[in-house]
Amino acid sequence: MSLTVDGATRTFTRRGRPPVPALRQVDLSVGVGELVVLVGPSGSGKSTLLRAVAGLESLDAGRVLVDGTDVTTAGPGERAVALVFQDLALFPHLTVGENIGFGARGRGARAAEVRTAVAEAAELLGIADLVDRRPGELSGGERQRVALARALLRDPRLFLLDEPFSSVDAELRVRLREEVKDLQRRTGVAMVHVTHDRTEAMALADRVVVLRGGAVEQVGTPDDVWHRPSTLSVARLMDDVPLAVITAASVGQPGDHVLAVRAGDLRLRPAGSGRLDVRVDDVVLDGGTAVVRCSSPVGPVHVRALWEDRPRAGRAYGVDWEARHEHRFAADGTRMS
Amino acid sequence: MSDQIGTGRSHLGGATSHRSGGMRPGGLATPYVLGLVVLVALPVLGAAALAFTEYYGFAAPRFVGWDNYRRALDDELFRTSLRNVALIALVAVPLRLLLATAAALLLQGRSRGAGTGRAAAYLPSVVPDAAWALLWLWLLNPLYGPLPAALRAVGLGSPDFLTDPAAARLGVALMVALQVGEAFIVALAARRAIPDQLYEAAAVEAAPPGFVVRRLTLPLMAPLLVLLAARDLVLLLQVTFVPVLLVTEGGPRDATLTPPLYLYQRAFGYGELGYASALSMVLLVLTAAVLAVQALLVRRWLLR
Repeated sequence: MSLTVDGATRTFTRRGRPPVPALRQVDLSVGVGELVVLVGPSGSGKSTLLRAVAGLESLDAGRVLVDGTDVTTAGPGERAVALVFQDLALFPHLTVGENIGFGARGRGARAAEVRTAVAEAAELLGIADLVDRRPGELSGGERQRVALARALLRDPRLFLLDEPFSSVDAELRVRLREEVKDLQRRTGVAMVHVTHDRTEAMALADRVVVLRGGAVEQVGTPDDVWHRPSTLSVARLMDDVPLAVITAASVGQPGDHVLAVRAGDLRLRPAGSGRLDVRVDDVVLDGGTAVVRCSSPVGPVHVRALWEDRPRAGRAYGVDWEARHEHRFAADGTRMS
Repeated sequence: MSDQIGTGRSHLGGATSHRSGGMRPGGLATPYVLGLVVLVALPVLGAAALAFTEYYGFAAPRFVGWDNYRRALDDELFRTSLRNVALIALVAVPLRLLLATAAALLLQGRSRGAGTGRAAAYLPSVVPDAAWALLWLWLLNPLYGPLPAALRAVGLGSPDFLTDPAAARLGVALMVALQVGEAFIVALAARRAIPDQLYEAAAVEAAPPGFVVRRLTLPLMAPLLVLLAARDLVLLLQVTFVPVLLVTEGGPRDATLTPPLYLYQRAFGYGELGYASALSMVLLVLTAAVLAVQALLVRRWLLR
């Protein structure tokens, strides 16, 4: 029930096009019962990595080990993993029950056994009354549950989910996310979940793996990734409001590094006080708080404030922050200290 | 998922709803409708009218009521021709469908040689019908033909393809069935319309190849395969003309006499244009009946 990926490297080549490195020396380890989320912008290699783990994509170099067994060259069927695809890949001509039991029937299980197992899985996911329908007659959320039930019947050593919630609305996404987490906790099977949604990554993960340009930027708990981002790009990626990035020189510190402070860690002060003078350009309501967009001598600065304390647009203010909220990054973007 | 496979329909819908440039669907269909009326509908109506007459092409047609149809019902040769085409279809339609589907499944990938294989599978359909028929006349020849020679070489013994009635029908069936070109192209398109992800899902589930073909590929291709079978039947009923005319002339002992050939003999051999028209009407109705039964079956079993 564990996964190790060792130096995974893959370059996509197509005739007449420059080669695209999709994975560069990626290491990944998922412990027993652990839920790891791969997060990164599109083109970061997260889906390629997941597909390589499933055996649907080959590696130019590196190894994949499931429970300590090298499966690098094993076919997708020999790895005992279950994969939920981004667009679910349900079989349109089969009923929900036949979809869930497809693999089990294919592997030669008896019809009666499969029926029982399908009924159990459908019950667990709350789709018991849908087993005779076809995927085309279901809502988005119901289809998600069918795909999950199908994965469950694989009785896998590892669950792999490739952006499964990208096509459902926000409200349902939150509910499905919670259901998946509960399901993973209950079954105790390790899970690798791919998403580009930072909120989803934070909500689900025991550990987050941030990928960029086919390489791992940071591995850590959501707490680590948020509070101790290893690079400026990780800090930016995991936040939905841009960080204030201030050169050391402009606040009188020695060195050529930059300071990055999250909007939520900045405080508005009366004009003239604080470490930075700003002018408020716009105030928007975001999740119950105000996001204040300001311009300053060092560039745009976003500040999160309580809605009742929101400033007025066009006025001048000062901005202040505590030293412990400063993230310092060297000129090449890597974290200092 | 179903909307992925059925995109063809939505594209068509889109094309008619965006009426750019003021062209109406009716206007766009005009050339086709004109052709249909002038080249198909009017001749059919003409034949339907002629079917009630005695007409040899010299004197004016003479009205005879249902006489031609009564004669057709009693016509031993016409019945023989229908029986022949049914027997030929029994072999040719499933065989062609099988060959086309198998070729499509084997050659749909990107493996080496698949492109060449696809060209080879289509090639026989490029050969003109007459040349194809002459080729088979040689292939089947009991004295120097390669097929009988090959059969004898492997110790099977060869039937007399051109002189034995049952073997002659088999020969015609083979000749028709091996022109898989169009059927192959359609089957290939049907196979490629199935999203790769479904196969990836099946692969991750460790479903064996035979199971995948049986439970995934064939069911998803089925509607188009049934359509192909229908097309083949119509083709056999209506246009199995060149091969039987050139290779067997309907013989031996009328074993390969097919309805189009019989019609042709009646109309242009004996000059019985009125009677031949009645026969063509019967054939038209039979074809429609076959298609109706087939459409019913498809609706009942495949498009539930």
